[in-house]
Amino acid sequence: MTAIPLREMQKKVEALRSLPSSPAVLKPLLDVLHEPPDKVPIDKVVKLVSYEKTIAAQLLRIANSPLYGRTKPAESIQAAIFTLGIQRIEDILLSNCFSKMVPSDKWVVDPGVFWRHSFGCALVCREFAERIGYHDPDKAYLAGLLHDLGIIVNSLAFTEQYREVLAKAVEAGRPLDEQEEETLGFTHCQSGVILAKAWALPQPIRDVIEWHHTTTLAPAGNPLIALTHLADLLCRVRNLGYGYEEWRVVDLATDPGWIDLGEHCPKLATIDLARFTMDLDAYVVRITSLVDTIFSVN
Amino acid sequence: MPLDTQTPPKPVVSSSRDDDARDPAYLKIRDVIYQACGIYHSEEKLYLLAGACKRRMAAGSKATDPRHYLELLTGASTKVVELRELLNEITIGETCLFRSQPQITALQNVILPELIATRGKIGLKKLKIWSAGCSTGEEPYTLAMFLLEQSEKLLKGWTFEIQATDLNDRSVETAKNGVYGGYAVRNTSDLYKRKYFSPAENDKLRVNDEVRSRITFSRLNLNDDSKMLFMKGMDLIFCCNVLIYFDIASKRRVVQHFFSSLQAPGYFFLGHAESLYQVTDQFRLVHLPGTTTYLKGLPGSEGNPKP
Repeated sequence: MTAIPLREMQKKVEALRSLPSSPAVLKPLLDVLHEPPDKVPIDKVVKLVSYEKTIAAQLLRIANSPLYGRTKPAESIQAAIFTLGIQRIEDILLSNCFSKMVPSDKWVVDPGVFWRHSFGCALVCREFAERIGYHDPDKAYLAGLLHDLGIIVNSLAFTEQYREVLAKAVEAGRPLDEQEEETLGFTHCQSGVILAKAWALPQPIRDVIEWHHTTTLAPAGNPLIALTHLADLLCRVRNLGYGYEEWRVVDLATDPGWIDLGEHCPKLATIDLARFTMDLDAYVVRITSLVDTIFSVN
Repeated sequence: MPLDTQTPPKPVVSSSRDDDARDPAYLKIRDVIYQACGIYHSEEKLYLLAGACKRRMAAGSKATDPRHYLELLTGASTKVVELRELLNEITIGETCLFRSQPQITALQNVILPELIATRGKIGLKKLKIWSAGCSTGEEPYTLAMFLLEQSEKLLKGWTFEIQATDLNDRSVETAKNGVYGGYAVRNTSDLYKRKYFSPAENDKLRVNDEVRSRITFSRLNLNDDSKMLFMKGMDLIFCCNVLIYFDIASKRRVVQHFFSSLQAPGYFFLGHAESLYQVTDQFRLVHLPGTTTYLKGLPGSEGNPKP
């Protein structure tokens, strides 16, 4: 297969904006996502939830799932919001609206796998940010959640070619972005940022989407890029990747992103990476049950 | 051997396990253990730690609840003995053949191909592997079988030898015998059982001579500096759940020896919950799918000495 010229890629991706399945909840949701979870007024969340008819029932079912261990069932939407927490509501809304945006036959990476990776990376980003003293852990969470937007874009716009990309990457145990570059001629970073611009995502998040695989080329001064890059790598070596193993040694200490991040966050030099890595295994358990709960009630 | 790389993550631990481990004293005990010996229990493994503590509380230690047990573990007159007893409980049942599947899978898919590429260049088609603290032999036999299985594949045209050492004479004798019961081979696939074992008395299995011939068993004290100097030219070193019993000074000295014993690039494997945090600046923690290892890089490839 020949690579897709960048201009053609751009045209196809820009056309995605007007897809009829793009849900109404997206814009207000993204507005809320800009704010730290503890600053979001509850009435804004109730309003958010009311955008989608099916979402209220889904939130109730998730809040009442064994995952949350309530003794008395949550019966009102407020009770469900209280049980789940605003962060979780955002996660569920976002995965729900992306899932609706992508018809089931167009998912190339399995949606469960995709959300495990995205939620996982978001959690690792926030935890990592807290441990190394990065000033805005909630923004780090959002960066992790959205960093692979381009994978959705590629699935939608280049479904068949993208299936081939994934199959080849799995077969060779090689990073997805390398295979994209070779087969398509561009990566999910380049296609993702086009949609991110169209959706007017904040600039730091756009930068993460665009540069998280090529941190050395990224504009200076945004440690969020290196942070997300490293969290992404950690997820991929710890069962929160794209559903397959990448057969390589990942050496974080010599990664340019590590060195770059260390300049912004000196505490990075003292982090106990072995312990942090082992803590990730608990995230896998948590994330897997969350994603399973979200998808089993869909 | 099953090499299913697509295995989904393990299901959620049951809530009863969680309840047991929820006592905050266990988090403190976790940190005591980690500080003292570098073995770490992440959130989803805390129930294992709680189980080990409970067995100690039931068997002889004077404490009846986690908080009192923590006092035993930190009290000046009790901590040395109790820590050792608890470590024994934590590592009990850890030994079996093919214990760490992610390690074996990473050896096959990442480490061996890399070693073959780098060592092959200098014409030496021989791998030297050291199983340090081999206990009753499960680890070196696992490695030998795995490598033999690769001898017509990745390792075609290559040879290998395994040095297996332990401090304990009786363990070394048991290891040389190479006879294992059902519990020790619970992770061993039928293919390996057929190919590399023959039946022994009491329904046990005896490791075949072909496998034995690749391993040299001997007694070695890792604290014996003069003997350690003879262990040279290793490509891989395995030392699982051994250093946890060492104090920080001897740990540093032994790890220094391991570093000198390895060729670069070479890898040093610990037990899956062990860490060398603040023990060494020379080895670098690197990640493999589902596991980690410590790398001795080529000179000049050190980069940032942390982590």
